[in-house]
Amino acid sequence: MTAEAVPRSKSGTPARGAAGGPKGSGRGRQALLWLAVIAIMIFCLFPFYWLINTSLKTGPDLSSANLLPPNPSLKNYDSIFTDADFTTALRNSVIVASITTFFALLFGSFAGYALARLRFRFKFVILAIVLSISTFPPIAIAAPIFKLWTDTGLYDTLLGLIPPYLTFSLPLTIYILASFFKEIPRELEEAALVDGATHFQAFRKVVLPLAAPGFVTAGLLAFIEAWNQFLFAITLTSSPDARPVPAALAFFTGSQKFEVPLGTITAATVVITVPLVIVVLIFQKRIVAGLTAGAVKG
Amino acid sequence: MSAALAVAAIAVAGCGDDDEDTESAKKVEPGAAEQAKGNVNWCIGKDTTGTFSKAVKEFSSQGQVKANLIELPAAADEQRTQLVQRLQAKSSECDVLGMDVIWTAEFAAQSWLQDVSDIVAERKDVWIPSTLETAKYEDKYWALPYNTNAGFVYYRTDQVQEPPDNWQAVYSEAAKGDGIVYQGARYEGLTVNFLELLYSAGGKVLSDDGKTVEIDSPEAVEVLKFMADGIEQGAAPKAVTTYMEEESRRAFESGGATFMRNWPYAYSLGKDSKIAEDFDITTFPKFGEGEGAGVLGGYDVAISAYSKNPDGAAAFAEFLTSPDWQKTIMTEASLPSTLTKTYDDPAVQKAFPFAVKLRTAVEQAQPRPVTPVYPQVSEAIFKNVHLALQGKMAPDEAIKTMKGDIDKALQTF
Amino acid sequence: MEAATVARPRRRGSGLSERRLAAAMVSPSMIVITLVAAYPIGYAIWLSLHEYSVRVPGLSRWSGLKNYDTALSSSEFWEALRNTFLFTGISVTIELVLGIAFALAMHQAFKGRAVLRATVLVPWAVLTFGSGLLWRSIFEPDLGFANSMLSALGLPGGDILWLGQEGYAMAVMICADIWKTAPFMALLLLAGLQVIPDDVYDAAKVDGASAWQRFLRITLPLLKPAILVALLFRTLDALRVFDLPFALTGGANGTNTLSLYAYQELTANRLVGLGSALSVLTFLIVMIVSFMYIRFVGGNIRGLADER
Repeated sequence: MTAEAVPRSKSGTPARGAAGGPKGSGRGRQALLWLAVIAIMIFCLFPFYWLINTSLKTGPDLSSANLLPPNPSLKNYDSIFTDADFTTALRNSVIVASITTFFALLFGSFAGYALARLRFRFKFVILAIVLSISTFPPIAIAAPIFKLWTDTGLYDTLLGLIPPYLTFSLPLTIYILASFFKEIPRELEEAALVDGATHFQAFRKVVLPLAAPGFVTAGLLAFIEAWNQFLFAITLTSSPDARPVPAALAFFTGSQKFEVPLGTITAATVVITVPLVIVVLIFQKRIVAGLTAGAVKG
Repeated sequence: MSAALAVAAIAVAGCGDDDEDTESAKKVEPGAAEQAKGNVNWCIGKDTTGTFSKAVKEFSSQGQVKANLIELPAAADEQRTQLVQRLQAKSSECDVLGMDVIWTAEFAAQSWLQDVSDIVAERKDVWIPSTLETAKYEDKYWALPYNTNAGFVYYRTDQVQEPPDNWQAVYSEAAKGDGIVYQGARYEGLTVNFLELLYSAGGKVLSDDGKTVEIDSPEAVEVLKFMADGIEQGAAPKAVTTYMEEESRRAFESGGATFMRNWPYAYSLGKDSKIAEDFDITTFPKFGEGEGAGVLGGYDVAISAYSKNPDGAAAFAEFLTSPDWQKTIMTEASLPSTLTKTYDDPAVQKAFPFAVKLRTAVEQAQPRPVTPVYPQVSEAIFKNVHLALQGKMAPDEAIKTMKGDIDKALQTF
Repeated sequence: MEAATVARPRRRGSGLSERRLAAAMVSPSMIVITLVAAYPIGYAIWLSLHEYSVRVPGLSRWSGLKNYDTALSSSEFWEALRNTFLFTGISVTIELVLGIAFALAMHQAFKGRAVLRATVLVPWAVLTFGSGLLWRSIFEPDLGFANSMLSALGLPGGDILWLGQEGYAMAVMICADIWKTAPFMALLLLAGLQVIPDDVYDAAKVDGASAWQRFLRITLPLLKPAILVALLFRTLDALRVFDLPFALTGGANGTNTLSLYAYQELTANRLVGLGSALSVLTFLIVMIVSFMYIRFVGGNIRGLADER
């Protein structure tokens, strides 16, 4: 179907050991395993490598498919960083994503705690609503928000981006934090309550510190979600001052009438992606834990 | 001077008097430009040649008004979406708008543009008459023609002795040679290619008042059949139905075709390619008996109805369409000027050896159908032409469907 | 894991009752969601029941269900629907299969697992829209890596206009999505694998079960909860896909999806009524799918709300 689709892992369980017996030949199995691992790594890394590779090429080199840039140059990076629109977009994205993450954690921890610990009616309804947001197609609310923001002057502002971004970061945040809260033994809170603390104080003083790792995870995921937002970015902004990075990227591309600026596009994508990749790699354990919280408990 | 915008509450589309759509549009008076000051933003597509930045710098250094460039995406469709988004949000971000010639009616009908009839009237004679048609809607002018464009037939001088003087001969020579390439993908460019032949055959899409559909004519069927047969019989390669400007240019430049229909921009690029010595261009031949005709491309500059500095915007628009600057855009950016006299300038003729041919092509070109629902009309055209070219629909059926689709488009609420 | 529920101790401190506190804590999120999701959806439905003049600014009229009628009888809608479901079906299936395969490989105890896990997170970290552009560049005709490689290796297909043809364009879109998401699925499933105790496998081995049988009878069933949740979220994501077709083709050549089609009618064609109707239809379709899903998978979600 496609040129470079990597065949599925060769050492999927069925192939465990040539002999197939319970104690199958270790060497055969090992070899297959290594093959699978390498295949997986190529699958994941090659396109990313290609991205970087292309971003280091300029001029006619861009038309060739060399695996290594023949004349590696940082010219593309230079030109995007001197492009005021791009650097403004970076700034915009950082601001909006950070504020969104902050509020997502704040509101999300409150709601998550209530869902995880407190007893109240309509809990299931609230949970259903929260989860259903994560199934909302953004397009369904894009036009109404556009009209609303146009009438209230929030169109084309960073402030206007935050509510929709927040809405789409909240469900995951609530879900993750609620799962983390549930992990914390009830006895600790109950001890605090016995000592005279209110529920909220128990939350603040006992639960929050213990759930700190969960906050890191949830924060990261909320940030990535906000960083990736595209539809709202292009619908609710028009000027470079308010435009976040994905929308700015959309501007880099253009028609087929003129040369496709492949070099600068890939450079911009690398710049946008690499910091995120680094952060993700640093926190990978947490991220994985967060993503799987709840999925496993069933 | 500027009347307040009144929302027109009119009965359903299709009927209504001629001038009703734009009755209460804002107007910019000439002479206001002279006392203008402040800032203006110019929103136009990507500045691939650097002349846009040069324009704002040059203009800003000359007088009281400071101009600033805001670049939109390179593709016309995306520019339109960007402008529409801002105008719907009543944003004052753009003062001067770089308008593809096909947007005039739509934008004017929406009261997004300021009426510049009086400004145009002052200098009416300087412009090539056909270009002024692109800025007109309901007998008023909504923009100043900035640059224009008309297509040519490119041909290989080493394969073709003399360029044929009618399309039928072009196709038959192409069939004997390496074929003709043009823009046959399912997009606006196909509408252009089709209309060029249709106009040459004497056909029309809409009546002069833009209210009735006249596409279902024997000429239209004949033209569409001609194009479809051309592909079927090998005068044009099948791949042409996926080509836009760049693909057809690359096919011609790599030596894979004998003829090409394309805009003037491909000329200088071709002179830098491997076929540099072996090609030339000619204005459109006639189709059968009629006159050769083309379709106008290009951009006009308009003033946004939401601009906070319409006088400054007018000053900038005047600058962009001044004889000196028009000469600059032609010699430095290869953008064909909309002013008649520019083509006589020796410097221009040096940059464009075919300058006079170009002016003739522009003079004999016609605008695309003038209607506020042009996007829908164009889609009706290229959608059905594309099906016919692919052999999925017979030409006469395609024209009939096209008429139905355009009818529906004109009924758009 | 669950401690026996102790009789709730008397509160001595002052403070909000549990119910009031819960309401207070939940309300900021609820307010945001109501403002940003509930109200606009209502507004979208309202918009979809009107027609907004494309010719005359500010003119609108009530049109009832006419927009829905137009939408449901337009071939573009059904095409977009078909494309969306095709895309969802194929990509989610392949992602699941690949995800299980990757997870199994990553699960085999050996060193370097951290590196592998890190590697696998890379596609997921790439900006979604950016990855669309990346794949577009890989499959560019002539200049792109895919065609150059194919030609260089002498394989057929080096001149395919990948993004310019129906079928091929969808294939590229699926490929791009798989790259980005299969690793993510693998991670979700890996966690599921990791809680399966080894002794279950050992017992099976002792009983003479083959590797394949172990996989079918032990691994898959125990992995079911994780698979189902991963499937749910992936399916819903795929049904709403927008960034990818926007970046790759702008919706041309058989890649138009529900979200993208609605977006085009809204912005390029300025048909607010029709665009809103399409958006609402998209919303309904996604909701229906998710409800149907939760009916089967419901137990997992309920678990979170239960008191432990």
